[in-house]
Amino acid sequence: MPRTLVVIGHGMVGHRLVTELRTRDRAGEWRIVVLAEERRPAYDRLALSSYFDGRSAAELTLADDDLLADPAVGLRLSTTATALDRTTRTVRTTDGTVIGYDALVLATGSRPFVPPVPGHDLPCCFVYRTLDDLDAIRAAARPGRPGAVIGGGLLGLEAANALRLLGMRPQVVELAPWLLPLQVDETAGALLARLVAGLGVRVHCGTATESIAPGRVRLADGTAVEADLVVFSAGVRPRDELALTAGLERAEQGGFLVDDQCRTADPHIWAIGECAAVNGRCYGLSAPGYRMAEAVAAQLLGTAEARFKGADTSTRLKLLDVPVASFGDARATTAGAVEFTHATPNTYRKLVLAPDANTLLGGILTGDTSAYALLRTLVGRELPTSPEELLGLAG
Amino acid sequence: MTGVLVIGNGPAAHRLVHRLRQLGHSGGVTVLGAEPRAAYNRVLLTSVLDGSLPPDAIALPRHPDGTRVRLGVTAVGVDRARRLVLARADDGRGMLSYRYDRLVLATGARPRIPEVAGVRMPGGRLAEGVRCLRTLADCERIGPGQVAVLGAGVLGVEAALALRRAGYEVTLAHRRAQPMGRLLGPRGGELLAERLRDLGVELELGHRAVGYAPGKLLLDDGRTLPADTLLLCTGVTPETGLARAAGLAVACGVVVDDQLRTSDPYVHAIGDCAEHAGRVSGLVESAWQQADTLARVLAGERVGHRAAKPVIRPRTPGIHIAALGTPDGGGAEVVTFSDPARGRYASLALREQRITGAVLIGLPQAIASVSQLYDRDLPVPADRLALLLGTASRRGSGALELPDDAVVCLCNNVMKRTLSDAWRGGARELPDLAAATRATTGCGGCAPDVRRLCAALERETG
Repeated sequence: MPRTLVVIGHGMVGHRLVTELRTRDRAGEWRIVVLAEERRPAYDRLALSSYFDGRSAAELTLADDDLLADPAVGLRLSTTATALDRTTRTVRTTDGTVIGYDALVLATGSRPFVPPVPGHDLPCCFVYRTLDDLDAIRAAARPGRPGAVIGGGLLGLEAANALRLLGMRPQVVELAPWLLPLQVDETAGALLARLVAGLGVRVHCGTATESIAPGRVRLADGTAVEADLVVFSAGVRPRDELALTAGLERAEQGGFLVDDQCRTADPHIWAIGECAAVNGRCYGLSAPGYRMAEAVAAQLLGTAEARFKGADTSTRLKLLDVPVASFGDARATTAGAVEFTHATPNTYRKLVLAPDANTLLGGILTGDTSAYALLRTLVGRELPTSPEELLGLAG
Repeated sequence: MTGVLVIGNGPAAHRLVHRLRQLGHSGGVTVLGAEPRAAYNRVLLTSVLDGSLPPDAIALPRHPDGTRVRLGVTAVGVDRARRLVLARADDGRGMLSYRYDRLVLATGARPRIPEVAGVRMPGGRLAEGVRCLRTLADCERIGPGQVAVLGAGVLGVEAALALRRAGYEVTLAHRRAQPMGRLLGPRGGELLAERLRDLGVELELGHRAVGYAPGKLLLDDGRTLPADTLLLCTGVTPETGLARAAGLAVACGVVVDDQLRTSDPYVHAIGDCAEHAGRVSGLVESAWQQADTLARVLAGERVGHRAAKPVIRPRTPGIHIAALGTPDGGGAEVVTFSDPARGRYASLALREQRITGAVLIGLPQAIASVSQLYDRDLPVPADRLALLLGTASRRGSGALELPDDAVVCLCNNVMKRTLSDAWRGGARELPDLAAATRATTGCGGCAPDVRRLCAALERETG
């Protein structure tokens, strides 16, 4: 008799857990119930802006026909879990159904953070997280008209690209002094702002959003940004509300508190992806989430020791046609670290080295990221040759 | 043989007179010095300020025999039609006049006095406790107590450090965000600020001085700095009064051509008062070079002056600093090295492998090698980091391929080996490889690497 695994959430990470378990569970130990809040099965959230570039929802989906037809997987769309009862090991859903579990994995993801500025709840304000959000943005978009994106991080620049693809004229507002403050340094952020300005996207950094009124966004520095439509992409918060009813512990900054096996204090309950605070830390990228899903799948199949060993938070993206990558200790936080940079009018590359000025710790690439894969594998090792050669600059 | 009359007795004038003799100039040479002392090397004033050299030690060698040196004589007018200079002697002899065949203006520059309330007394003289730093006399007048140095350009930084070495409590106030920021750029300036603090200099950056009263300097944010002495290091102005009054062409300095000639062919100008090719250099090295050129011109050689590339080496013992060319230097490439923990910073602006500008701090060896390359316009080696660190240049072994166990797709943990195997197994295009290995199906960022790998495999099997 197979045991029942309930997965709450069918985002990229929840989906990875399901496919991983189905691939490896040859003996048929588990039957899986997936509670998906959205009306669609999991899709590629990282490629969202391509939805406005000719890719359909069907093309973005991660769930293939085999999975949908798999008798061991019960996917319940448009279903939200409302409560957990750990003593009876049951989950209650919005339609009143009560589902029993032997193992429960929380993969609820996160929700966009909307700063509580006056006007944030006007009909012209949107968030950028789900395909439904995108449909709403598309319905409101008017080609040729101005739009504003609040937040100049990875997601914010994706959102700006989405608006551009819809024919709008987006401007980006970032509270930090430069774009992508979590990934790159000031020089790279400034270059990125200059390059995207060349594509018609104006950037306002180092200023907060003060208020929103129909037609315009007022910034703390006094600037008025014309905007028929406003998209918030000012970070996310873990969706950990279920912790309250279930009496599970949350991390200080939010998120279900789990150990490095992604287990909560309840041995039957795990949390993975953006909603999980592994030893107190949340991860917002897909690679760490996938590593968590793999670790939990292994535990469910008897490899009790499988752990999440932290993950490489390197990123390489093309943001508004500008390639950007950051890897390792990109912001030189290691004590005594030294930096080597190379800049041309349209590129900026930085290597962060150990105090010996020879061991690679990390780096930033802007405008040209062709050296990324090689450099990433060299992190922690001595440079085999000159930085210029590694960066592909030696003529 | 022509008689040469030199107005000014600073380093430029001194060098000119010696070169003239070396070149065999046999005509008369007369030097009018406004200061009562013999010529001295102004560049070493901070060594007098910190007490490491007695005032006499910075004297320049005596002028060659036969040179008529008139000290304490201030030129007050030039009569170009009669080729006469009128001068006033401080010893009460009254007005004197000197004839010339060739006149050389080497009048230097005077300190610029900022428009700060209370700095000047009614009548224009500096108020009690306020000093400049241009002459030996300036060095001798600094009394006990706390010193505020206003202006953190090269001279201000040098002076603050010198006074600190002499045991004074020193605050260096500057209206910009970094000391010597225009020369060193923001990163270099920040590093210098840190080193100055390490050496005990208090810094007040980003504030303008708005008022002075004996004992204190008032800043624009309402605070006051202790200032028993206020030392003004707020730049200099070329001394062009005589030239202007004589009707010579003056822009910022006295305008000279490649023969260091003013708009009057019988009058030349060199050093800090001269403007050559649109620039007043302000560096003693340029003054010396101009003096060398002019000596040859006066000796009848057909030479033209070409301004040397500017190299600035502030006299800041304990902090090695060099600034070459202009900070961004119009370079097509900019390379930087920064090591804040060890007080090291370098920035090289390059065009076609040649240095167009550089800033070097805390890297004495690189200062030597980079200055050489810059001065001789030689190409820099390919390993610029090694050049800056003074280590052996590295050359690629050609082994810059990804190792087989390199993770190419981070989202899905796909190694290069897995991809190569799938490619050899027939998955030649991206979608096939994605289906076989899941690579590129996460964030998609690795797609260019997977394509490059495919191309490499194709060449290999090709």
